[in-house]
Amino acid sequence: MSQILTANRLQVGEVVYWNSAKGWVESLTDAEVLAEGRAEAALKGAAEWVSKREVVAPYLFEVKVLGSEVTPVKIRERIRAAGPTVRRDLGKQAG
Amino acid sequence: MYRYDEFDLKFVHERAEQFRGQVARRLSGELSEDEFKPLRLMNGLYLQLHSYMLRIAIPYGTLSARQLRKLAFIARKYDRGYGHFTTRQNLQLHWAQLPQVADMLVELAEVEMHCMQTSGNCVRNVTADHFAGAGKDELEDPRILSEIARQWSTLHPEFSFLPRKFKIAVSGSPADRAAIMIHDIGIQIVKNDEGEIGYRVFVGGGLGRTPFIAHEVGAFVAKRDILAFLEAVMRVYNESGRRDNIHKARIKILVHQIGPQEMRKRVEAEFAEIKKSGVLELPEEEIARIAAYFTPPRFEKLGEFCPEFEAAKRENRAFADWVKTNIAEHKAPGYAIATISLKPVGKTPGDCSSDQMDALADLMDAFHQPEIRVTHEQNLVLPYMRKKDLFALWEKLGGLELATPNHGLVTDIICCPGLDYCDLANARSINIAQEIAKRFSDLERQHDLGELKIKISGCINACGHHHVGHIGILGVDRKGVENYQILLGASGAEDASLGEILGPGFDKEGIVDAVETVIATYQDLRHNGERFLDTVRRVGASPFKEKLYAH
Repeated sequence: MSQILTANRLQVGEVVYWNSAKGWVESLTDAEVLAEGRAEAALKGAAEWVSKREVVAPYLFEVKVLGSEVTPVKIRERIRAAGPTVRRDLGKQAG
Repeated sequence: MYRYDEFDLKFVHERAEQFRGQVARRLSGELSEDEFKPLRLMNGLYLQLHSYMLRIAIPYGTLSARQLRKLAFIARKYDRGYGHFTTRQNLQLHWAQLPQVADMLVELAEVEMHCMQTSGNCVRNVTADHFAGAGKDELEDPRILSEIARQWSTLHPEFSFLPRKFKIAVSGSPADRAAIMIHDIGIQIVKNDEGEIGYRVFVGGGLGRTPFIAHEVGAFVAKRDILAFLEAVMRVYNESGRRDNIHKARIKILVHQIGPQEMRKRVEAEFAEIKKSGVLELPEEEIARIAAYFTPPRFEKLGEFCPEFEAAKRENRAFADWVKTNIAEHKAPGYAIATISLKPVGKTPGDCSSDQMDALADLMDAFHQPEIRVTHEQNLVLPYMRKKDLFALWEKLGGLELATPNHGLVTDIICCPGLDYCDLANARSINIAQEIAKRFSDLERQHDLGELKIKISGCINACGHHHVGHIGILGVDRKGVENYQILLGASGAEDASLGEILGPGFDKEGIVDAVETVIATYQDLRHNGERFLDTVRRVGASPFKEKLYAH
């Protein structure tokens, strides 16, 4: 199963995703999809960013990949990626 | 209401500055996240799904207009222009940013507020009946004891590292509007045969993954002895409560494991020891000093019958509907208690915008309301309204989307933030509340159904009190899909009991139909005028299960 590495920014709490070329990015569409072998290594690597006080609470979550479309398996991650489903004017979905 | 003295003021300002220093040390790397987390939690700051969440304590749910305006200001300046009132009478701001939190605490300190005791393994913000000082059935204002307990418990060195969090609620009347039976300690103010006021103390209630109704440990504790008695309960818990397993650490588990009789024995033994020293005996003058802060406003001498009020009800059906559900009897003739519903159909239960808070503060001034109350049912209350002012109030509230006439009805749903905001949640709850409210929005139907309390939680932690709903709904994660279980026939009031899960859960599309089926079954089975809860208790769960799982 493919995975994505996520965390929250230490200062503002915002949800971010790991991309080895760009660093921590705000949008799920910019996140790097990690194959099984690389995911754990990426998570270990996040410890450095935690110690640099960039992010907190890093973890991996599973995604389904269909062509170019990447969808988190769990609704929790879909909500983190967009914002509250009951307030479309808030969170990342608000733009 | 209670006013801070010099010590209190200095203390909350110092705490804000102390936290500023802690944040700076975290951001500089001097503190690790593991070291910082307990410090931020001691100041009510959580990391949630989208951002930091700041939980602001509202002691016994009482706010002045000045405080409400300050909350509006803080939510507007530092957050997203709204707050969420919780089932523990607190206010949550869901979009806080770490570098600004100390400034938010300073703003709060300026109006005698803070975020302490809203998180962590301490005695949490003491809650009380929201009709305090106004309810017709009240024996004594429960905020007097709540404030005494607050002062006793805040920074109590012996109770800074309890096995787990500890919640206290106080009710001042036989009707339990404070859900005391589902608290770690629930206190009911009672009168004995000699006419003395004292306290009936219950211990070991709670919801979460292992729900229990509290047991009586003190039938009548004298006023002077109440702190000694509470300290005795806390000592027994602190000594014997489990610390090896977070899921078994609450006092309810201890009471369940040793039994209520043994608990009573241990508390009584500890109580006798504490009493010997006399240190915790409450002097009458100190009780009187605290009580003076809660002296109700001077009531005008009014007749119980108010012609203007009666005429307005006759002439305006919508106003009469609002009065029917949202107005309660007051102890002073010619006065009434107005419940302001934060449950407009289709909106988030308990949410209130900064604009609404400011407008409510203006209404408090206009209608001479020294206080507004937050209820554990996530509504607001104006406790000292003259009946003759109610129509004007209702008209103003209507313009603010705050005059929904549904208090106690099927659309007055208690609901936690759920998976839309909360890091612990497994399923969304707000959207379910909204869909149920839309389905039952017809007011005539709501009135026909009468009192019906739906309570929804997005996880087993039960912030939405689903265990004690007439209809409880628990959201779970079933193989990655939100699923909703129904519990039936419970109550968090004076007739407290826990609900029974009816059977397999429903998906988010099916849960509203399932609630409709339960309610239709009630309509088929009810006797004339019989409440939903009474019908369920009379006939049991079987007829409901049969209808729900017929196919």
